[in-house]
Amino acid sequence: MSELILQAMLYTLTFFAVVTLIRLLIGPTASDRLVALNVLAAVSLALLILWGVSTKRTLYLDVALVYDIFGFLGFLAITRFLKKDKEES
Amino acid sequence: MMIVREILALLAFVIGTAFGLVGMVGLFRFKDPYSRLHAGSLCGTTAVFSYLIALLLLSPSVASTLRMIILIVFFLISAPTGSSIVARFIWESEDAERQRSSMNREDKSL
Amino acid sequence: MNSRRTWALIRFGLTTLFLFVVWILFSADAGFFSLLFGFFISLLSASLTYHIFLPEHEANLRFFIPRPFSLIRFFILMVAALYASSFQVVKAVITGNTNPRIVHFRTRLRSDLARTILANAITFTPGTMTLDLNDDHLTVHWLLCSTTHAKAAGEAIKTRLEHALGRTWL
Repeated sequence: MSELILQAMLYTLTFFAVVTLIRLLIGPTASDRLVALNVLAAVSLALLILWGVSTKRTLYLDVALVYDIFGFLGFLAITRFLKKDKEES
Repeated sequence: MMIVREILALLAFVIGTAFGLVGMVGLFRFKDPYSRLHAGSLCGTTAVFSYLIALLLLSPSVASTLRMIILIVFFLISAPTGSSIVARFIWESEDAERQRSSMNREDKSL
Repeated sequence: MNSRRTWALIRFGLTTLFLFVVWILFSADAGFFSLLFGFFISLLSASLTYHIFLPEHEANLRFFIPRPFSLIRFFILMVAALYASSFQVVKAVITGNTNPRIVHFRTRLRSDLARTILANAITFTPGTMTLDLNDDHLTVHWLLCSTTHAKAAGEAIKTRLEHALGRTWL
């Protein structure tokens, strides 16, 4: 039963990741791409935790914790970079 | 005991999947980036949060349960922070766009 | 001068305590050497960073020490608000009628921590997303807008959260 739920979760999360990747690739402006990237970060966090639970190893949970805490620093860097790019052009 | 946990996990999984699917539809249905952010980020956060609850109920050992509780608390802090950063970027880029278009209009009037 | 030194000592102690708790949580190891090492490391980093972590102008302990029961209540309220607001967005996605608008209002919370948490919690209330937080002035994008009047909009968005937060921090 619980293996079945974990399996189903893996499939749905992969589906969400693929859909957000499509949005990321076709998004007309940089804002749309960032929105898709924001959702994709949350989905990949869930995938990491799912893998840690289904293989019963806490190492993946530690990786997920660090990714969770420092994930939004990446967004800060990307937005700073894009803003500077726009000001120069 | 295990059966109850599995049933609750199944419930959380179904709720999360429903919210996530609607969020994905909204990501493609809305036209402006703000509405896409609302649909994608809010429904995505709810879906991932429900999945984390389900995984918490299914977690195999005490060590992983403790780590998952810390993870869920930090996820509730970091998810709105990330979407706020993105929303602020959209706001500032639209502001720049508007200023540029108004400058173009002034150029045409000259 | 003396009271300032006492206040600096209190802030230093609180920073050390916070860093030590985080160390115990993250290392998940209660051995003697690990605890000793973590204590000295948190003492060192607290002596370097306490004036950034807790700025001097936050002149009240209630500004950053929460009341535990109110904190738990606020947490439950936030999770409930998350599901309710997602439901509203689901309705908006299915019917397709939205009324997006940007509203401005002020908050009366005084500490930086409570304001930041209010800005984060507003993202969880139905159809709203915080764009900017400048001192006590909030800029919010509202997807399902019903009014344009600043005071009414602020009342509709923040009242419950501000009450719960005001009971927790100040």
